[in-house]
Amino acid sequence: MLIDTITVAAAVPADKTAAVSPGRRIWRAAYAEPQFRVGLVLILILIITALIYPYLTPLSATKIAVLERFKPPFFLSGGTWLHPLGTDQLGRDLFLRSLIGLQNALLISMSAVIIMFVFGAAIGLFSGYYGGWIDTVLMRITDAQLAVPVIILAITILTVRRPTVETVTLVLALSGWPAYARVTRSVTLSERQREYVRGAKILGASDLRIIFQLIAPNVLPPIAFVAVLDIARMMIFEAILGFIGIGVQPPTPTFGNIIADGQKYLINAWWVATMPGAFLFAALLGINLIGTSVEQARNKVLGGTI
Amino acid sequence: MVSLISFLVRRILQGALIILLVSFGIFAVLRLVPGDPARLVLGPMASDQVVEVAAREMGLRDPIPVQYVHWLGAALHGDMGQSYIRAINGSQVTGSHDEFAQAGKAHVLDLIGGALPYTLQLAALALLFAAIIAIPLGIAGGMRSGQWPDKLVLYLGSAFVSIPNFWLSVVLALVVTAQFHLIPSIGYQGFSYTILPAFVIAIEMSPIFMRSLSSSVSGARQRSFVSLAEIRGLSRWRIFFGHILRNAAVPVLNLFGVQIGALLGGILIVEFIFNYPGLGLLTVQAVLQRDFPVIQGVAVLSAVLFVVINILVDLVSTWIDPRLDF
Repeated sequence: MLIDTITVAAAVPADKTAAVSPGRRIWRAAYAEPQFRVGLVLILILIITALIYPYLTPLSATKIAVLERFKPPFFLSGGTWLHPLGTDQLGRDLFLRSLIGLQNALLISMSAVIIMFVFGAAIGLFSGYYGGWIDTVLMRITDAQLAVPVIILAITILTVRRPTVETVTLVLALSGWPAYARVTRSVTLSERQREYVRGAKILGASDLRIIFQLIAPNVLPPIAFVAVLDIARMMIFEAILGFIGIGVQPPTPTFGNIIADGQKYLINAWWVATMPGAFLFAALLGINLIGTSVEQARNKVLGGTI
Repeated sequence: MVSLISFLVRRILQGALIILLVSFGIFAVLRLVPGDPARLVLGPMASDQVVEVAAREMGLRDPIPVQYVHWLGAALHGDMGQSYIRAINGSQVTGSHDEFAQAGKAHVLDLIGGALPYTLQLAALALLFAAIIAIPLGIAGGMRSGQWPDKLVLYLGSAFVSIPNFWLSVVLALVVTAQFHLIPSIGYQGFSYTILPAFVIAIEMSPIFMRSLSSSVSGARQRSFVSLAEIRGLSRWRIFFGHILRNAAVPVLNLFGVQIGALLGGILIVEFIFNYPGLGLLTVQAVLQRDFPVIQGVAVLSAVLFVVINILVDLVSTWIDPRLDF
């Protein structure tokens, strides 16, 4: 339940914060939490390394180097700093492959979250604004989507359509939109009773204009803050698809296909599967720490939970 | 009483609509994907003509809505069809030239019925583990909000959701089973094979419940009836169980209803990795082999579970908190 901005602003002590937009205040409240800064530092280090390191190193993420195969990580005897996480069965550097995997995972999951947010929000806006049979039909479709484990749909689609960056992104987006549709609908339901919406109707504004120019800018930003957590969720999902063999295909490195490859050599070279997984864990931890503190800050600033 | 009955009727009708939508959606998706089921049943050696005849007999050349009505009619009589691939005795038969090959194929309901007990056992143990992790931590975090138990819930929750389930499965199978021979896993030869998969699912599920419990407990503590109960001189235990926990339980229960699909999804993956003979393994194999009737059956089953559990959750919620109206 969203309290409107005016009451929230009035509830805040009348100092400089009152003039700041709710979005700003949410970011400030989140930044005040130590876990937000821990997460931010963690994920920024990883992303910056992922952007720079591939240009600095002489190694290649895809080229086969048989002489270098199964080199252990740096902390084991025989390991070197040239291959901090060791090398895989084809002699490729696991650190570099994990970094490229992170690039792909972030690209895919962020696009998927944007698509699911836009689609789910649109469904929720229409459903909540029009009500009646449109609402009933749209919400039952949403429930139906929630009722089937998406993984069944995902495997079905991806065993038939060649898994590329685009198809994987769309399949991921399919998994997440119902949550956004439900939340947006419930907020829109109460929003359409507000004076400014009724005023706009009396002034003769069209439904589409009211929905997208008046209601959407008010209800969507608070919901968008939750999307940070979904990026991490989608990264895991993308890795699962890759692990089953229906994610983005090799030679493009993804966490899923790196770990699936490494699983075959677990007994002799355990690091091939475990090290990239630990790397993925670190990236997810960063995003999840940011996500939870942003969510808590939002609840604190706007009051209540959605 | 009247409101209870009208609630049940309304929810069951809505649920039936959801199940219909799911079954039609999955049906349409499966018919639209390339790959001829008749070819799958008869195998690569059969001539095109034989395949064509078989396809007509199986009704695969009818328009999709007609096929769906046929399927639905049979399903309402308790016949979910037969697997394209699996034989009754459990082995997989493909490429049989016998026109009556279908006669020896397993019924979808039998396959599901055979796998379901394993999945239920896994789900129950996973929920038990998740409860053991989430309930004490969640309550401690909520009762001491802002202090270290609260922080612990936050960091532990973030760490747990950040562990990819398939990776944890691989690591546990390697360390616990292969390296130290502590708990067996991979396949199923007894109850102990359930422990590791259940643990992985519990790790995945517990943060959601931990956080929700923590925030609803701390929310309930700030309500006026709790401070009033203190003034009224009620014992701490009575306040805790009768006022705080009772009020905190409803949001957590509702969350469980919403999460049921995700729980099933997690079970699918973990079963597949541990080669655990439940619904998940059945489903993933069915999808990889294009065994449409089995996929259809599992999708309908999961929709039914979703609907039934959500109705139960609402009933229990109103029983716990009578202020909620149907």
